[in-house]
Amino acid sequence: MVPVDFYFVLACLIFSLGLFGALFRRNLIMVLMSIELMLNAVNLVFVAAGRAIGNVDGQVMVLFVITVAACEAAVGLAMVIALFRKYGTVNTDILRLLRG
Amino acid sequence: MGLTADEFTIQFIATLVKFAIVAGLLLQIPPVMVWVERRVPAMMQRRKGPNRVGIFKWRIYGLMQSLADTIKLIFKEEVVPEGAQKAFYHLAPVFSVFPAFLIAMAIPYGPDIHAFGTTIPLSIIRVDVGFLFIFAVSSLAVYGVTIAGWASNNKYSLLGSLRASAQMISYEIPLGMSLIPIVLIYGTLDLNKIVEAQSHFWKWGVFLSPVSFLLFLIAMFAETNRAPFDLAEAEGELVAGFHTEYTSAKFAAFFLGEYVSMFVLSCLASTVFFGGWQVPFFSVQKLDDLTGFIGVSALIGHVTLMLKATFFMWLYIWVRWTIPRFRYDQLMSLGWKYMIPLGLVNVVVTAVVIAAFRFS
Amino acid sequence: MSDFSLLMTHGVFHLFAALITLCSVLVVMSKHPVKSAVFLVVDLFLLAGLYATLDSHFVAAIQVLVYAGAIVVLFLFVIMLLNLQPEQLRGLKFSAVEAGTLVISLVGFLITVVATFKGDQTGLGDGSLDPVAIEAAGGNTYVVAMKLLTNYIWPFELASVLILMAIVAAVVIAKKDKKKTSAPIS
Repeated sequence: MVPVDFYFVLACLIFSLGLFGALFRRNLIMVLMSIELMLNAVNLVFVAAGRAIGNVDGQVMVLFVITVAACEAAVGLAMVIALFRKYGTVNTDILRLLRG
Repeated sequence: MGLTADEFTIQFIATLVKFAIVAGLLLQIPPVMVWVERRVPAMMQRRKGPNRVGIFKWRIYGLMQSLADTIKLIFKEEVVPEGAQKAFYHLAPVFSVFPAFLIAMAIPYGPDIHAFGTTIPLSIIRVDVGFLFIFAVSSLAVYGVTIAGWASNNKYSLLGSLRASAQMISYEIPLGMSLIPIVLIYGTLDLNKIVEAQSHFWKWGVFLSPVSFLLFLIAMFAETNRAPFDLAEAEGELVAGFHTEYTSAKFAAFFLGEYVSMFVLSCLASTVFFGGWQVPFFSVQKLDDLTGFIGVSALIGHVTLMLKATFFMWLYIWVRWTIPRFRYDQLMSLGWKYMIPLGLVNVVVTAVVIAAFRFS
Repeated sequence: MSDFSLLMTHGVFHLFAALITLCSVLVVMSKHPVKSAVFLVVDLFLLAGLYATLDSHFVAAIQVLVYAGAIVVLFLFVIMLLNLQPEQLRGLKFSAVEAGTLVISLVGFLITVVATFKGDQTGLGDGSLDPVAIEAAGGNTYVVAMKLLTNYIWPFELASVLILMAIVAAVVIAKKDKKKTSAPIS
């Protein structure tokens, strides 16, 4: 079989790309999508590691991560819509009230 | 896996053959269905319908009309609208055809064939999570519609596609919920095992869980965007909805996707609720021993399933020409306010009854 | 395990890995959000395929069903609703915090790669739960379900509360303010 470390490297790559996207992109929806990418990298580690050490807890964990991701997407997108309604943009260069 | 080299070769060849047969079958559906969809309402309304086109003298009730239509459709000029998102405009038909074909791979088309020292299942991919596979892939069908509407750069297309995708997402929930009691009753997610469990006539899904069947039937019509839920296409309001801007072969591809998904859902309905390839009051699997030919049982089983599926295909047409179109708010309130609560109650009641039987 | 099947599994993994990486890059770098969303779907689908090769069929199906079938559709809806236009990608200009985070993540990535190829490699299937054992225990779905509904029953129940909270929160946040607008939603 393929060594489990290969899966870790792949997951690491996806996670880095997601992190890069979350920082680099200026569109709130793109930031949310990059976060989904990062969550998926975590899922891959859970499944691969669970398979390697021989129990299904990893797979159960993935189900919870997916649940949380769904909630996060719903609430996050609702916030994006509310922000868009109020300011007319989803650009994080303009939406910087918290940054001071 | 635990296969020897010979077995692997046999399975590989068998898979190729099965794939060719199923793909060929699926590609025949739209032309024939288009013809049926014009002849059957003609019969219902006491008119003739297309009956002229034929090859030389043989008219075969106008069946060649579909051939003529298909040839015309494919050789038409292709128009790409100004301002369309080119790549996605071209990809959208693929997105709508691909899931339908992928689901068709998971349906058990007949009993296993025991030949050449191995067992050949009559579904192309046999997964132990057959149900979930089907739902997972069918939920991808939304993208074809959404992307087609968005990429055409047309208001009506976008509105139609948003309507259609909202409808498909909403009705996926009752569709899935209607099958949970079936999973509870038979205790498996494997479609093959479900069919095998329905060997007795009175153990068919429709008798054990009639409410599920009702919910499934309604959701089935909504999932495929067919009348009375064809709001996505609503000719009078939206100028045919998401595929307004599509011409020639791509337009045909959307039809292919629609009819194939109708056929696949018909097969699924027959598999889950009407015993799949089981013939009532008769054990198909014994046919091999009775006649002495290997594969007779598979053939009979397959024909049985096709007959059952044909009934549902005909039902689609019957309903289309009988019931008027829903209004959009009616559609949504039916889905969310009636079908989902009913589905939940159905799941709970089934679970309680099963638990009561198990502990008594 | 024969050489042929070893080659096959490695080939499948590397093909999937390459495609996943490519799609992830496209998700992050596409100018138009709709394109990103579509590549995200392809990405999730490929990841589900990878889960299937790891004998986790149930998770693979759920991944496609929930992620590709529901979450990304939601993203697409919002993108179309807001009619977002292609974004002007800025050049590679970063603030100090962003640059620092990037450097740290890159270093972490390099450390993982080096650690992977230097240390002894853990093979998959060393544990007790190989496909044969799972099959004997009643199939992947059964095993996962048993775990989920016994050991993890409390998190499972709490997840339903979480979903309920998310639904209410999403509705409250996205609801239009009634005082300002009275235009009917059609």
